[in-house]
Amino acid sequence: MNAWDIFIRQFIEKEGYTLVLQGLGTTLIIAVAGLAIGLIIGSILAIVKIIPGKNPFLLVLQRFADVYVALFRGTPMVVQLLVVHFVLFPSLGIHILSEIEGTIAFGLNSAAYVCEIMRGGILSIDKGQTEAGRSLGLSYSTTMIKIVIPQAIKNVIPTMGNEFISLVKETSVLSFIAVVDVTKAFQTMANSSYEYVVPYLMLAVVYLVIVLIATFVIRILERRLRASDKR
Amino acid sequence: MTNDNSNEVLQEASNSEGMIKIQNLKKSFGKANVLKGITTTIKKGEKVVIIGPSGSGKSTILRCTNLLEEPTSGEIWLDGKLINEVDPYNHDDILKISSTFKKLTAEGYSEELALAEIKNNILIKSDFKEGREFVKAKKEFKKANSININEARARMGMVFQHFNLFNNLTVIQNMILAPVQLKRKTKEEAIADAEKLLDRIGLLDKRDVYPSTLSGGQKQRIAIVRSLCMNPEIMLFDEPTSALDPEMVGEVLDLIQELANEGMTMIIVTHEMGFAKKIGTRVMFVDQGLVAESGTPEELFGNPKNARLKDFLSKVLY
Repeated sequence: MNAWDIFIRQFIEKEGYTLVLQGLGTTLIIAVAGLAIGLIIGSILAIVKIIPGKNPFLLVLQRFADVYVALFRGTPMVVQLLVVHFVLFPSLGIHILSEIEGTIAFGLNSAAYVCEIMRGGILSIDKGQTEAGRSLGLSYSTTMIKIVIPQAIKNVIPTMGNEFISLVKETSVLSFIAVVDVTKAFQTMANSSYEYVVPYLMLAVVYLVIVLIATFVIRILERRLRASDKR
Repeated sequence: MTNDNSNEVLQEASNSEGMIKIQNLKKSFGKANVLKGITTTIKKGEKVVIIGPSGSGKSTILRCTNLLEEPTSGEIWLDGKLINEVDPYNHDDILKISSTFKKLTAEGYSEELALAEIKNNILIKSDFKEGREFVKAKKEFKKANSININEARARMGMVFQHFNLFNNLTVIQNMILAPVQLKRKTKEEAIADAEKLLDRIGLLDKRDVYPSTLSGGQKQRIAIVRSLCMNPEIMLFDEPTSALDPEMVGEVLDLIQELANEGMTMIIVTHEMGFAKKIGTRVMFVDQGLVAESGTPEELFGNPKNARLKDFLSKVLY
């Protein structure tokens, strides 16, 4: 029996596909939920970092945002995952699904990157846009919400897409905390048949397809948002 | 004849309360002192043109007037209301309750000498001791006399060199954003007014396009009418034609001239000397952060007294 036949037998007859589909679902859900959490926390951090002012409360928040970004960008994702699973939640005495812990870890990690992406996006908007808004009597927040942030979002879509793609790929370390993602699913199949070539090549193809689909979706989104540049 | 006219203008200036009062305005960026003490009053209906070499601080005066730049010191008043921080330099009565003043008078200085000493030496060196009563008086003065900056800006339209139309909004959205957000008009009223203004400048057909499709001249004319949507009492023009192709300068200047003819109060920073001469009721020549000469266009262009102004004019008028 050749390698392909072994894989097919495992995948179909031994119902390996249920594990793979389950793992695929876990990977996608954690990546999407992680990005969603990252977008929310990251955008808040970016705005905190950008607001001008000498309010002491704001300065403390800005300091916190700096430390947060340094911490999450300065340590490997796997380490953060391990810390969340083995240190943070146990020490708080909280017992939740490893999948949820994984989502939280990826969300917190992603927030640091999203923060810097959003900040860069906001800073890339010409100062004249803010000045025009303020000179009409609009408040700082209205100017940001109605004028600067919509333009910034349009500019950061490609980079945000990048962030999502690397997030999808990084979820492959989830097995460190015993979450069955798509990597773990293929790994399990390989280990039980001692046939590694096909499962791991298939795994690579699965990630590639996810990333290609994501790239396609991002491109459509980008084109739609760029409508105001043409016409 | 021109002399009579200018006397009349000066007479009026001293009689009526100014619409905008700039008192001892100073601005530095780091170590560069861009404005070194500008004092002027702009009355309702006046069209003040600011000219001067580049880097002289012309635009900074304008940008300080609506606080896009925070003045380092000095005060900006709009219609009798303070719009920035209280500058003790302009208020002898507040200075008189400061710790430093009390110390100096105790040392035997007369009141006038103590004030002069504080203004000329001590405030600059920033070893001025305020004291609790002084801080309280300053706060009370501000509370009694100032208005919110957003409120003030809504009453002052500003037109920029680079137009600064909102790129993410269509022309009509650009125009109605501020009046609707600030609840000056309902959306329907705002749209109706905006359409009227667009029709007036012949760009009603551009109502729903994005700014990126417009020419420079069209952008600037829309930027001007966008400001008009807030019904401002005064318009500030910061080199409105400097970024335009030559063939588009005329259409923008015509629109500004029209507004001037309707009696709009204006401060215009420009390099168009012909235009300055035609539109200005008063021209200010700014050089090295100070008003070097000021007067009617006839005086300034016809009979310049300041050596630097003569030099400047010889370079720009050929």
